[in-house]
Amino acid sequence: MLEGLVSQESLSLNSMDMSVLERLKWVQQQQQQLQQVVSQSSNNSPELLQILQFHGSNNDELLQSSFSQFQMLGSGFGPNYNMGFGPPHEAMDECISRTSSCHMEPVDTIEVLLKTGEENRAIALKNKRKPEVKTRGEEKTEKKIKIEAETESSMKGRLNMRNTEASSDTSKETSKGASEIQKLDYIHVRARRGQATDRHSLAERARREKISKKMKYLQDIVPGCNKVTGKAGMLDEIINYVQCLQRQVEFLSMKLAVLNPELELAVEDVSVKQFQAYFTNVVASKQTIMVDVPLFPLDQQGSLDLSAINPNQTTSIEAPSASWETQSQSLYNTSSLGFQY
Amino acid sequence: MERQIINKKKRVFSLEPNKNPSAVFTRKYTSHLVPALKKLNMNKNSSKQTVKHEVDMALALSAQEFAWSRFLLQKLSSSSNPTTTTSSSSDGIRILERPDKEGGNEEGGIEERLRELKKLLPGGEEMNVEEMLSEIGNYIKCLELQTIALKSIVQDST
Repeated sequence: MLEGLVSQESLSLNSMDMSVLERLKWVQQQQQQLQQVVSQSSNNSPELLQILQFHGSNNDELLQSSFSQFQMLGSGFGPNYNMGFGPPHEAMDECISRTSSCHMEPVDTIEVLLKTGEENRAIALKNKRKPEVKTRGEEKTEKKIKIEAETESSMKGRLNMRNTEASSDTSKETSKGASEIQKLDYIHVRARRGQATDRHSLAERARREKISKKMKYLQDIVPGCNKVTGKAGMLDEIINYVQCLQRQVEFLSMKLAVLNPELELAVEDVSVKQFQAYFTNVVASKQTIMVDVPLFPLDQQGSLDLSAINPNQTTSIEAPSASWETQSQSLYNTSSLGFQY
Repeated sequence: MERQIINKKKRVFSLEPNKNPSAVFTRKYTSHLVPALKKLNMNKNSSKQTVKHEVDMALALSAQEFAWSRFLLQKLSSSSNPTTTTSSSSDGIRILERPDKEGGNEEGGIEERLRELKKLLPGGEEMNVEEMLSEIGNYIKCLELQTIALKSIVQDST
């Protein structure tokens, strides 16, 4: 019977386009069989390890027992858990004895895990969703699925970072702070969230989404942010960019100070400069800006490093200016500004 | 609505220039800065500090919709010898130190970077994180426009 289910699973796993409902139903079917095996083999991959954590919803003992199991088994396993037929059986039996639930058919479930790593990650993620359906409301399920959709496509490091983020996010609600218990922290958080302080967690989640939206907007503005992943790197880039802009302004004002006595600013020139400065922001006139760059006199102040920055800056500045109009709606609508439209 | 501006063989067609916020800002900025520079010029009193002061003042006056501009105005008006948001020497040192700090992408590192970002923004330290992030966005935009305006002014005069 399970072989049939396994084959179906193999088909379904290959296409991640299954609807959420189908997946949930399938997961509910698989839950009893797969739970323990997943926990056993998850010592080989951090993603599966997290399923284990989710499965042990309110049962910390299960986790700690399985952690000790992992440490026992860990030496015997390589990255390829196809080899681990022998030990897992014993370990699983022991695990079963320690835990309250979980009937299993070890061999078949291991067959499931014989599939590629990608599929196993898929299993892991589906199993992740399962306890959510049980313990939480639909809202949180959706949010988690969103997060999982991201983790599917991201690296492990990113996954861990997200976990740390989420755990620190509600760290006020948790008490622990040990090293490997970072993942246990996650569990504690999730357990408590399901129970009592829903409002807090929801509010925090909303706040986090706002902040991440703003970070995305900043990512569009600051050139070169797309290549960096993660909040820290992006913040670094933003800081760098702001400092560059400020230095550039300072440099230009120093230059202006030097040139000021020589400036012949007549009234007509004022309007000329205004409009020149104005139309440089129009998208169509990008070529004039490109011309500006080599004409920019470099020798007077002797600051060659800034001049090296400038050509890069001008090309990048034009792009954001072009996108100003597309961004302006979001920019000015979110904050209550009286900007003329 | 079209406005046609003929300027030394350059033609500029602008559709509804009042609705383009970057154009509005740039126009305001230059209209503040250039007369101020003229005045400075006439007074024969121009030091580097004072020009910087005028530059920042023009920035603050052109962007009065934003919170940071209010803080900037406060700073400028309160200090007689204006040291503005950028201090070149300390910035240089800070840039050199940062490679050491950048070591790990940790959770604590994010807090640190947010604090540093707050320092960069005028008045950023009194805002909370969300507000600060959105203010940083339009601050960056205005800085970019400011550099463009300054460049064009400088270039025209040389």
